[in-house]
Amino acid sequence: MKRLRRAAAARLTRWAVRRHGIDTLPLTISRRRIYIIPTRFGLTLGLMLVAMLIAGLNYNNNLGLAFGFLLTSLVLVAMHHCHRNLLGLGVDAVGDVDAFAGAPAQLEFVLQSDAAVDRCDIEIHCTEAAASTHRVAANGYQRAVVGLPAMPRGVMRLDQFELRTRHPFGWFRSWTYVHKPLTVFTAPEPRGTHVLPSAAAAAGNVSESDLHGDEEFAGLRSYQIGVPLKHMAWKVVARGGEPAVRSYTGLAAQPEWLEWSALEGMDTEARLSQLCRWILESEAAHHRYGLRMPGTEVSPGHGAAHRSTCLRALARFGVENPP
Amino acid sequence: MIGQRMAAERISFERLTWISGCLALALLPVVVRLPLWLIAMVVTATGLRLVLAARGHDAPPRLIRVIVPLLAIALLFVQYRTFNGLSAGTALLCLIAGLKVLESKTGRDLHVVVMIIYFLSLAALLQGESFWLLGYLVVVCWLTTSSLLGLTSSASWGVWRTNVRYAGRVLAQAVPLTVALWLFFPRFGGPLWQLADDSNAATSGLSDSMSPGDITELALSDDVAFRVRFSPGSQAPPERYWRGPVLHDFDGRAWRRTDAGRMPAPPLHFDGPALQYTVSMEPNQHNWIFVLEWPAGWSGSRASLTSDYMLVAPNAIAQPVDVVATSYVHAQAAEPLDTGMRRRDTRLPVGPNPRSLRLSQEMRAAHRDDLDYVHAVLDMFRQQPFFYTLTPPRLAADSVDAFLFDSRRGFCGHYASAFATLMRDAGIPARVVTGYHGGTYNRFADYWIIRQSDAHAWDEIWIDGHGWLRVDPTAMVAPQRVESGLNDAVSAGAPLTSRWQQRTPWLADTRLRLDALRQLWRQRILGFDQGSQEKLLGLMHIPAPDGQKLAIILGLCLTVGLSWLTWQVRRELKPRPRDPLTRAYARLCRRLAAVGLPRMPHEGPEDFAARIALRRPDIAATLTVLCRRYSDLRYAAAPAPATVSTFIRAVRSFRPRGSRGSS
Repeated sequence: MKRLRRAAAARLTRWAVRRHGIDTLPLTISRRRIYIIPTRFGLTLGLMLVAMLIAGLNYNNNLGLAFGFLLTSLVLVAMHHCHRNLLGLGVDAVGDVDAFAGAPAQLEFVLQSDAAVDRCDIEIHCTEAAASTHRVAANGYQRAVVGLPAMPRGVMRLDQFELRTRHPFGWFRSWTYVHKPLTVFTAPEPRGTHVLPSAAAAAGNVSESDLHGDEEFAGLRSYQIGVPLKHMAWKVVARGGEPAVRSYTGLAAQPEWLEWSALEGMDTEARLSQLCRWILESEAAHHRYGLRMPGTEVSPGHGAAHRSTCLRALARFGVENPP
Repeated sequence: MIGQRMAAERISFERLTWISGCLALALLPVVVRLPLWLIAMVVTATGLRLVLAARGHDAPPRLIRVIVPLLAIALLFVQYRTFNGLSAGTALLCLIAGLKVLESKTGRDLHVVVMIIYFLSLAALLQGESFWLLGYLVVVCWLTTSSLLGLTSSASWGVWRTNVRYAGRVLAQAVPLTVALWLFFPRFGGPLWQLADDSNAATSGLSDSMSPGDITELALSDDVAFRVRFSPGSQAPPERYWRGPVLHDFDGRAWRRTDAGRMPAPPLHFDGPALQYTVSMEPNQHNWIFVLEWPAGWSGSRASLTSDYMLVAPNAIAQPVDVVATSYVHAQAAEPLDTGMRRRDTRLPVGPNPRSLRLSQEMRAAHRDDLDYVHAVLDMFRQQPFFYTLTPPRLAADSVDAFLFDSRRGFCGHYASAFATLMRDAGIPARVVTGYHGGTYNRFADYWIIRQSDAHAWDEIWIDGHGWLRVDPTAMVAPQRVESGLNDAVSAGAPLTSRWQQRTPWLADTRLRLDALRQLWRQRILGFDQGSQEKLLGLMHIPAPDGQKLAIILGLCLTVGLSWLTWQVRRELKPRPRDPLTRAYARLCRRLAAVGLPRMPHEGPEDFAARIALRRPDIAATLTVLCRRYSDLRYAAAPAPATVSTFIRAVRSFRPRGSRGSS
């Protein structure tokens, strides 16, 4: 039964894709793409209405009939309201999402209502397991986050997501598919014991002053996870201040290459985890860094976009036909 | 499935309270029909669940949730012996609702309660039919729907005011469709099938037997039996005897109706003016329709006339029904009395009432002619000290003897019974007719109200050459009673309300006005049927109305109604109507967008003009002026209307051409 249902749902989705094509975000939900069916509760109520109608006709009771018709009309009005709850709703989503293996990914959406009506109980379904319910105020917008359960490293592509609502009375369920692929790049869990290649090289050359021979001390920054311990400003910590890090100018001048080949003898996932850790450390230490892996090379850079490119390269590694 | 997850959530105390409150309101109209133990059980179950919820507990243990319902339903079956029929069905629904509240764990259980509340409202309407009940139940439906909104919504419960308002709006939008459905949904003539009909078990009224004292109880009842409106051209006759059950069998104490089989009514020669009138019957547990004597024609082919000229419907009158009837004040039998009927109407039990038999033999010896004998008996009632009272003494087994010779105090039933006995003793066919006499005229709406207190009993005797003649022996004793109703005749024993009304005329007037309204409601709303639908189509100038045309009109109405609904619901989605200035600016932007120069959402008018000016020097000057003027008008303290209209005109005449391949 469950399998049958799933197959039917898959078929419906395919049909809807053929019908609407791939969407571009942001999207305003049009009338043509909203589907509506009665819920189990609604069907039961429908049966009850038929019974009421028969009772009214049987007893030839005009008041009973009037009451039955009032409820019937109420259901019809509710159907329109359920449909309207999605109609004209603006949807936007973050298309590419970064996550780490073992931690839940968060898909982000924005729902926007340009109309003078509140949108109540809008559910965003990404998968059967990942959904959340939101309310969008009239002429307002609502940021919505749907948590995906933790996944292994790799790339996951959700071909579409679904907006559903059972507002107002739970008698009907209307929904719409948004055929916009959402890609979740799950980078490996940052793990590993190897220090950064540059630090390893420096460790051979003893002193700290040598390491930073051609660099000038540029001041203190606040602590961030992944900063090499030797950059910590321990004196500041000892004085009881906020954990701080010494930063140096000139670091940017020397790009650090994070090499796949530097990690011989480890298995693939462990290597990727180590690379991930290095990327985070380098980023936190404001190094310029590049990534070199079989088949991929990310030229040195710095910043959130660069970090994201590198992490996605790790996520993609070994994945067939990565997006 | 998030919806299911929501429904499976534990229910809060507030939601439970709301639903329980709605259930209580829905139970109120039917509560008088429920056995006491059932009410106690429903109240206990609901109360118990509320207390549990208030302390943060869940539903009671499974054992209780299984055993209590089983016991209760068994008890219910013992009481009613059936689950079929309105009373038993209603009781079962109430019980299930109470128990469902008790065992409710999730929102879905409460959804079931909501449906039961809807159905209970319907059951209440099937048993009562007042305007107020309908209004009350619509309010209950409103509140229940609001609770349902709170139940399904993920928002916090604190927004109940919003819920009530929203549910009210949905309900208001449902009204036009309801009216269309109600007006044009095809009605059937009769019931689809007969159910155990117990809905009116408590209604008072005449029955198909009469023992002394029966009608006395009715005399104290103010309930309306039926209402009559005489058609234009028909004057209400001074003597209004509304014929009901005709009784033939006498056992010495009580008169009973025998089923004469399907014998047709013997033909009559009618004489005098015909009276046409509409009888609006109130529901009762019998199937007879009260008509003036002598009935000649009636609407509704399903009703038929018995051999003793009683008009009967095929089924008990469970719903208010209107019958248009024609009667003649004078009629004569066209054929001699059938021997079987003569035998039936002269039969007396042997043994009881020996003294009356002796009396009749003496009088018969003196008066050989039938009519002479009748007059002699009536003279006896008139001249001897017979009293007319609402509180006659209890009579012994030989009721006629006891009345004629001992107490001599009685009500119409006593007189009719004694007179018929004396007639039969003398070999004159006689029967007792029960029905109503008189009635109150409602001058505010031109119709007659006949109440239970107008119940009466009289006799009909067969005189060869004349046919059946009506004789009212009670009239011999208290002649004024024949002129008007019982209220005037015996005001001391009359209902309290009637006595008040006699003293305060405005109170009586108000009562009549209210009754006129009630009659209007009854005829227009409760009595709405196939005939009314035909009339309605006639008013719409639709020739030859029939079921098919009705269905077409219903379809049309639904289409229009649903389109209206769609428009009504989507209208709220459109942005608010804007002022002319904003509209003009929007037009300017649209025109520019049409030539490939859309305004970016973040751009104000002057930024926009500046950007366009760089790209399109040809329109730069005009556009800069327009945009600056718009800004001024928009943000200046109070722009003069004249400048606004100048701006609108300027926008209208501004027609940018497409860029010449540059861009």
